Amino acid sequence: MDAFYASVEQRDRPELKGKPIAVGGSSKRGVVASASYEARQYGVRSAMPSMTAMRLCPQLIFVKSRFEVYQDVSQQIREIFLDYTDLVEPLSLDEAYLDVTENKHGKASATQIAMEIRQRILESTGLTASAGVSFNKFLAKVASDINKPDGIKVITPAEATPFLEALSVARFHGIGKVTAQKMNRMGIFNGKDLKQFSEIELVKRFGKVGRYYYKIVRAEDFREVNPNRIRKSIGAERTFSEDIVDLQEMKDRLTQLAGIIFQYMKKADNYGRTLTLKAKMPDFKVINRSRTFSSEIRHLDDLISVAHELLEENRTDIDRVRLLGLAVSNLMKEHSGEGIQLEFDFDY
Amino acid sequence: MKFSISSAELLKQLQLASGAIASNPVLPILEDFLFTIQNNKLHIAASDLETSILTEVDIMSDANGTVAVPAKILLETLKALPPQPITFTVNEENLAIEITSAYGKYRLAGENGGDFPKIPEPDAVDSLKVSGAALSRGVTKTIFAASNDELRPAMNGVYFQIDFSKLILVATDAHKLVKFTLGNITSEVSTSFIVPKKALNLLKGALPEKEDVEISFNKANVFFSFGNVRLICRLIDARYPDYNAVIPVDNPHLLTLERVGFQNSLKRIAIYANKTTNQVLLNITDSSLTVSAQDLDFSNEATEQLSCTYEGKPLTIGFNARFLVEMLGVLESDDVKMELSTPSRAGLLLPVEENEGEDILMLVMPVMLSN
Repeated sequence: MDAFYASVEQRDRPELKGKPIAVGGSSKRGVVASASYEARQYGVRSAMPSMTAMRLCPQLIFVKSRFEVYQDVSQQIREIFLDYTDLVEPLSLDEAYLDVTENKHGKASATQIAMEIRQRILESTGLTASAGVSFNKFLAKVASDINKPDGIKVITPAEATPFLEALSVARFHGIGKVTAQKMNRMGIFNGKDLKQFSEIELVKRFGKVGRYYYKIVRAEDFREVNPNRIRKSIGAERTFSEDIVDLQEMKDRLTQLAGIIFQYMKKADNYGRTLTLKAKMPDFKVINRSRTFSSEIRHLDDLISVAHELLEENRTDIDRVRLLGLAVSNLMKEHSGEGIQLEFDFDY
Repeated sequence: MKFSISSAELLKQLQLASGAIASNPVLPILEDFLFTIQNNKLHIAASDLETSILTEVDIMSDANGTVAVPAKILLETLKALPPQPITFTVNEENLAIEITSAYGKYRLAGENGGDFPKIPEPDAVDSLKVSGAALSRGVTKTIFAASNDELRPAMNGVYFQIDFSKLILVATDAHKLVKFTLGNITSEVSTSFIVPKKALNLLKGALPEKEDVEISFNKANVFFSFGNVRLICRLIDARYPDYNAVIPVDNPHLLTLERVGFQNSLKRIAIYANKTTNQVLLNITDSSLTVSAQDLDFSNEATEQLSCTYEGKPLTIGFNARFLVEMLGVLESDDVKMELSTPSRAGLLLPVEENEGEDILMLVMPVMLSN
């Protein structure tokens, strides 16, 4: 979906149409969750502090988020996807991979299906969507960004090689800002440059993800569209309207966060071995502390006490916080591809 | 108060006691040694509240008394001095301590010995005696299997089970387990308790080869006494898992092979294994064992073949190589036996020959293969 939350707000409040708007809190602690295309012209981006956004675009209109509405729209578009195929892998509320190789309508053309889906989304939600069509996930994802908003891009097998060779490495899905800079320093600016490096060289420079780079630049991506995506971590965080200085209050907030993520873990029946505490200071410095156990944390009490210990480990560093977060990683379902170390069946 | 002592003899006792001192103790006075002088004997104590070590040494003194001495500065001084007689003079007014060597004088600030936490006394204890060498072997062979997982406090120590004529030591982290049995013991009671790892590591380093050790215990503490040393430790207050229930009784497939050769092979193959699981595969047929590993992420793989004797159906089973290497490393027998059943059930690792009066059993859970 194009500028998803912002577009929903402009749809429901016609007076906002054509105006630079941002969904998110306008308070000095707020962050932009989504910016309309009008706001993007001023450089406003999602995840940007609201104060920065206002400096870039003084006439920016802040709108409070309404997640229930976005979830409803997300459900609507999901139903449209599922009308074509069951192989739908959501990436977020407003983005998904679809494998339409075999589809419920027996259509031979994926491009045709993409056009139909975009039309049906527009009719049922009044919102525009963009699509990328290709023969693997990586290319489809890259393609979907090319003609945004309200566009479609098709990359055929014949087009893939010249397209990737010309593509700037910064636009490769999976190559972030830091890696792109590192590649630039190595003289790698586009796909053609990247192809000059052997698989072994890339693994040496970038670790195992180097294998992935080697493959995608050759349009080799055999990952299946997986309707049950494996989560890597389960977490929650809160920014407070006022900085917290009191230890007991920090602990209380952590107890609440632990309760929230424990509910998620329980629901997903997916427990993790690592707990990470995130604390953001008034100067936006972020401290992460984590502890890994040899077995999964399966009890709320343990989660809470480890969270408190991480906080109290070195109190002098964390004396004033604007944000606290907890995340559990090393989830057991993540490692299902590797062998699983079994445990004695002790009756505790 | 004034006393004289050989610097080397004092250093030896202090180095032993200093093992109990925590790097960041809860009370500042726990960074000190407690010196108690009584009738020409210096009693030294160090503690972290959980583990304490007491030792003593003969001195020449002019009075009785106590003082707490900063451990780090005293140890460094003694280490830097060539062996020689030294004299301590304690000013009882301000607790200043002056050390006199052949080279000069060193002054440091002592603390009031009365502020040092009370070290538990062996009240209402039961006792048994074991040979220092046998206890040392038992601790060495079990302690590595204990867990570091704070969420499972019971497994953070070694389980001591006293059964009139036997002392059984057990350690596990839920993945591997060692049970060491020492026979020919005389105890009035049958009981059990869990001793934390830290205390046992200190004990291991201090145990005498040729003397007996007296183990005394009550509900709260265990006391190991030998020579002039007493090591006192608060027991872990938790219920130990019923380890006997997980020891398989019917593992029909029996693999016998040379211990060191197997261990060295695993060490080489493990280099090529996935670094988080350390998973190696044992593929066992009639007369050969194939050890292999691969790390898909890096396209690394390795295979070796070892000769063995095997009675059982061909079997492929995965293990964490690090566990097997550690377990094989504490066994002494030239040949070892593995008793296996299925790829998802615990395997037994046993020595072919045992020390007289000792019995060791090791258990390890496999790594379940994904496909």
